[in-house]
Amino acid sequence: MAKADSRFINRELSWLEFNQRVLDEALDTAVPLLERVKFLAITGSNLDEFFMVRVGSLELLTADGVTRPDPSGLSPSQQIDAVVARVRDMVATQYNLLSDLVAKLREAGIVYVSGSGLSPAQLVHAERVFDEEVRPVVSPMAVRSTDEFPALQNLGLNLAVRLQPKEGSTEQRYAVIPVGTVLPRFVSVPAEGGVVYAGIAIEELVRLLVDKLFPGETVVECVPFRITRNAAMSVEEEVTNDFLEEMMRLLAQRRTGGCIRLEVGAGATRMLVQFLRKGLAVPDHGIYEVPGLLNLATLFSLVSLNGFDKLRYETWEPQSSPQVDLRTSIFETLSRRNVLLCHPYDSYEPVLRFIEEAADDPGVLAIKQTLYRTSPNSRVIAALRRAAERGKYVTALVELKARFDEARNIEWARELERAGVQVIYGVKGLKTHSKVCLVVRREPGGIVRYMHFGTGNYNERTARLYSDVSLMTRDQDLGADASACFNAMTGYSEPPSFLKLSMAPMGVRDRLLERIRGEAKRAEAGEKAVIMAKMNSLVDEKLIEALYKASQAGVVIQLNVRGICCLKPGVKPYSSNISVVSIVDRYLEHSRVFYFLDVGKEEVFISSADWMPRNLDRRIELMVPVDDTESRQALIAILETYFKDTAKSRRLNGDGSYERIQPEPGRKPFSSQEALYIRSRKAVDKAEKSKPTVFEPHRPPTAV
Amino acid sequence: MTKENEVPSQEPPAVQPAATLFAVVELGTTSVRMAVAQAWAGEEGIKPLENLQQALALGKDTFTLGYIATGTTEACVEALKRFQALLREYRVPPANVRAIATSAVREASNSEAFLDRIYIATGMAVDLIDEAEVNRFTYLAVHPVLQTVPGLRDGETLVVEVGGGSTELLHMKQGNVVSAQGYRLGSLRLRKMVDEERAPAPRQGRILRSHVDRGVGQIRYSLPENQNAVMVALGGEARFAASQLEREWDKKGLVKIQVPALAKLTTELIGLSADDIVERFHVSFQDAETLGPALLVYTRLAEALDLRAITVSGVTLRDGVLAEMATHGSWTDEFKQQILSSVHELGKQYHVDVNHAEHVAYLSQQLFKAMKDEHRLDPRHELLLTVAALLHEVGAYVSTRSHHKHSMYLIMNSDIFGLGARDLQIVALVARYHRRTSPKASHVEYSVLDRESRVVVSKMAAILRIADALDRGHVQTQRDIDVSIRKGQCVIRVKQAGDFTLEQQGLREKAEMFEQVYGLKVVLEEMSDEVALGKG
Repeated sequence: MAKADSRFINRELSWLEFNQRVLDEALDTAVPLLERVKFLAITGSNLDEFFMVRVGSLELLTADGVTRPDPSGLSPSQQIDAVVARVRDMVATQYNLLSDLVAKLREAGIVYVSGSGLSPAQLVHAERVFDEEVRPVVSPMAVRSTDEFPALQNLGLNLAVRLQPKEGSTEQRYAVIPVGTVLPRFVSVPAEGGVVYAGIAIEELVRLLVDKLFPGETVVECVPFRITRNAAMSVEEEVTNDFLEEMMRLLAQRRTGGCIRLEVGAGATRMLVQFLRKGLAVPDHGIYEVPGLLNLATLFSLVSLNGFDKLRYETWEPQSSPQVDLRTSIFETLSRRNVLLCHPYDSYEPVLRFIEEAADDPGVLAIKQTLYRTSPNSRVIAALRRAAERGKYVTALVELKARFDEARNIEWARELERAGVQVIYGVKGLKTHSKVCLVVRREPGGIVRYMHFGTGNYNERTARLYSDVSLMTRDQDLGADASACFNAMTGYSEPPSFLKLSMAPMGVRDRLLERIRGEAKRAEAGEKAVIMAKMNSLVDEKLIEALYKASQAGVVIQLNVRGICCLKPGVKPYSSNISVVSIVDRYLEHSRVFYFLDVGKEEVFISSADWMPRNLDRRIELMVPVDDTESRQALIAILETYFKDTAKSRRLNGDGSYERIQPEPGRKPFSSQEALYIRSRKAVDKAEKSKPTVFEPHRPPTAV
Repeated sequence: MTKENEVPSQEPPAVQPAATLFAVVELGTTSVRMAVAQAWAGEEGIKPLENLQQALALGKDTFTLGYIATGTTEACVEALKRFQALLREYRVPPANVRAIATSAVREASNSEAFLDRIYIATGMAVDLIDEAEVNRFTYLAVHPVLQTVPGLRDGETLVVEVGGGSTELLHMKQGNVVSAQGYRLGSLRLRKMVDEERAPAPRQGRILRSHVDRGVGQIRYSLPENQNAVMVALGGEARFAASQLEREWDKKGLVKIQVPALAKLTTELIGLSADDIVERFHVSFQDAETLGPALLVYTRLAEALDLRAITVSGVTLRDGVLAEMATHGSWTDEFKQQILSSVHELGKQYHVDVNHAEHVAYLSQQLFKAMKDEHRLDPRHELLLTVAALLHEVGAYVSTRSHHKHSMYLIMNSDIFGLGARDLQIVALVARYHRRTSPKASHVEYSVLDRESRVVVSKMAAILRIADALDRGHVQTQRDIDVSIRKGQCVIRVKQAGDFTLEQQGLREKAEMFEQVYGLKVVLEEMSDEVALGKG
């Protein structure tokens, strides 16, 4: 994981462990079959991105001769070696699992047929599809030498073809067939004999009928392959902080785009692989022979097949939180109380209603909102458009740099602009990652500001899949801060000193350090001191060092870090009091919640920021104190629930490895996600029961 | 269906805001700022909604170049346009927006051209406010806050604000203003002085200290000995220090900071380059440049006064402007009291006959009220007239010959808390014309006034003359007078029977101007008892 004497775990290796935990879910036979397929698909798409961005950076650094070690003590080339070894291991697991899952799917009636396995009837159908739909869009390209290799699409699927040498010659002839992204990954073929669904992978189909593409030639070999290009440049803020300067220089030279990974179907001849390696200029360690379906991410299309509900998790319908009565105005609700929602267990509906009501309310003067990644046909976008059309001042801070989502973002951003929304395309040099919506409303008693602060994006779709927290409030200080925050982001004003909020890149790390040191001080003074924090990633060196100091001072530190964690827990002398767990379950853990005991105060914050340099230095993020007692207690209870998990929780060891936390002998495993779901349901039931059972007759309108 | 039984309309009730929105824009030393706030009809207090600021080198230009550079002007226009966008969002009526500029603009050689450019580009008419007005707004901002703390309300306070060009000091006792003074000791002026010496970096700190100590020495010298005041620091730099030293401060109210801690922070800041300060403390470059010098002034002043702690307040000049706007620019009784208390201090300094002065002031007020329909001046002018009446004889301190002329320049060169330069000039001229020649075009001080102000001076001086005449004997005999206007006459009936000769003679000498201004003859009558008892 790292040099033994280093106090940090290498972030790349830690990330790979996270991917392994996702893979473990796919391996878990207790998980429904299609969910397992989905987890496997996720590991595939995760790895793709990891290669493009993270391995991409390391390749650039190595090529530039950078040998300086990172905080874990590994130089870029040592990191590559370690990463490659770990990935090879993981790929082997993935494909063993794949064949296992394919067999299980077959039992369940979902058949993935290979070319040779087609029945005569299926073959007829497949041939027709090939002739009508595939052939017109694929075009083989002859490759005469490795020097003039055609440009191939990043992550796209291709077939490499070796043809019989011409008569009288020994010279090998090659061609490449890009399968592209237009065609579906699986072509359905008639299901037979009790099977519910049958399909053949597109590359299998092309391979089967490849002769048709080379009339008069003999195809000796035809193998699928896929390349991954270095995309370190496309996500500047992803640049490894430890090598910031070097990377910025390299990025300026734009030495990216090179091929850093080549995945080739197993069974390819050495000759063919060498030809591809040369032609694509892939480093040796970037070649992976894959014994099965390339591009595991495309398994997602299997997961979304209609029916097969028994192969999925039972549905947990998002609950309609009793804090909000959707039949009355949400503004009225908020004038009585704060609303704290824990998604996806609590429905996202109140948040959407909040924005929709603001759009239609005659008293609302302005709506300001950050948009990072939103769903297509989003109700948020529709509401903002409507509000603008009704003459309200609507400001949308749209982050186009949301990773790999740019094209989609531009589309709806333009749409908003046409409706009269003031669209601001991010802030120079900083990615706008904060999630806040501010509604300015004129009421008889004056101007009142209503806010929604979240840990997740304004995205109705992911709000059903990610665990996130929403806080809705009309707290005056937070209102002033929210205004100030938008004034800063829109360039109306410099960032001021906030009353309650903290905003990165100016204040979040400092505020956190202050809180951590505060706990440490109290621990030193012999007081009880506790820190609990939940986040996606913990990388920031300064914060980790502060946590180590706090641990040494005697602060009890419980961390729930879903993904990367560079902190080494439980190591004497510096982190004996720190424990780290990670929960990977049906919903993606996404909320960031921080707790500091500070006896008598119990400070709780929600945030859009992970404890990573990129979040704290190169993004606009918010950290919001939750200070009304009810919401705060609810959040503390949620945080604590996670630490009780014995079903899907893994403990991080000091060496960087993870182990599952087992229930005590004889006890049933405790699933935190299930517990949170039950908690939401119980809240609804309780509210139902406490409703007065007095019938309300419909009265004629003339009644007094 | 009867009316009462009508189904209520589905439309939400029309929103009728009882709250009014105000905004103030301030072109200050290191930045342009805007505060938006709301106030409620019939209620005290004003609640802030938004505070915006954009760093701008106005002060740096003015105090180093002498003028505001074009680039700065255009940056200012840009900033104001953005502020205006926010004002539109809130639908703040333009009449409720006040824009002011302080010394950084006032002292620029091209201030007129600068303000014209702002007006052309944004339509914003910016008022240049002078030190006295700054003091007034400071008082209006800080007074309500001081009232919340018994020790400050009942004790003695020195309200200090170190600006780019000067340090303003407001000395208060039991909530009353004792004095208000400005000193040419400003953060940017200091920085310029240090830069001009072109000393190597390590020595700059020492040079700065010596300049600050000289300035602080002057302030200390001008303050009464044995004063035992709490120092209340205002200003962005003080707020910065407070938020660094007291993390829990809510940034609105008052917070106490320890002088040794402040001194330590100041030393640290002086040792850093502006770039380092920006990097470390996330402040604008403009603010970074003023932090060290300004905080050093606060520190050294506190040390010179043997204070172990000072109090920092989150209020700003803009709060004062907003407070005044919320009360529609009228001076509160409270505030008038402050002005008068300052006037009394001044009167005492020049040994005026207090009884006569107060009686003339009283008579002037009676006349002013009775003549309301004739002069059509507002209550502010009543106060200015009162001030003129209280001070009309200060010139006698210099010499009884032509004492009205001495009164004029003494008043003009005095600091009267709450009165701006224009107000002060009106008061001075009214005092000048309480006797002898009536206003003439050849009188320079008079002729530089705009037409409106000239008329105001004449109207008030005419009244002051009558009031003065009525206490010709300096014996304050007629406590009650009754004034009525009828048939081209201003009839003044005095209750006290007896000999009016002195007053009649005074009136003969002094009523001429009154007759010219108002077209009314002044008639003095004795008030019958019935009238005096309200039966007539």
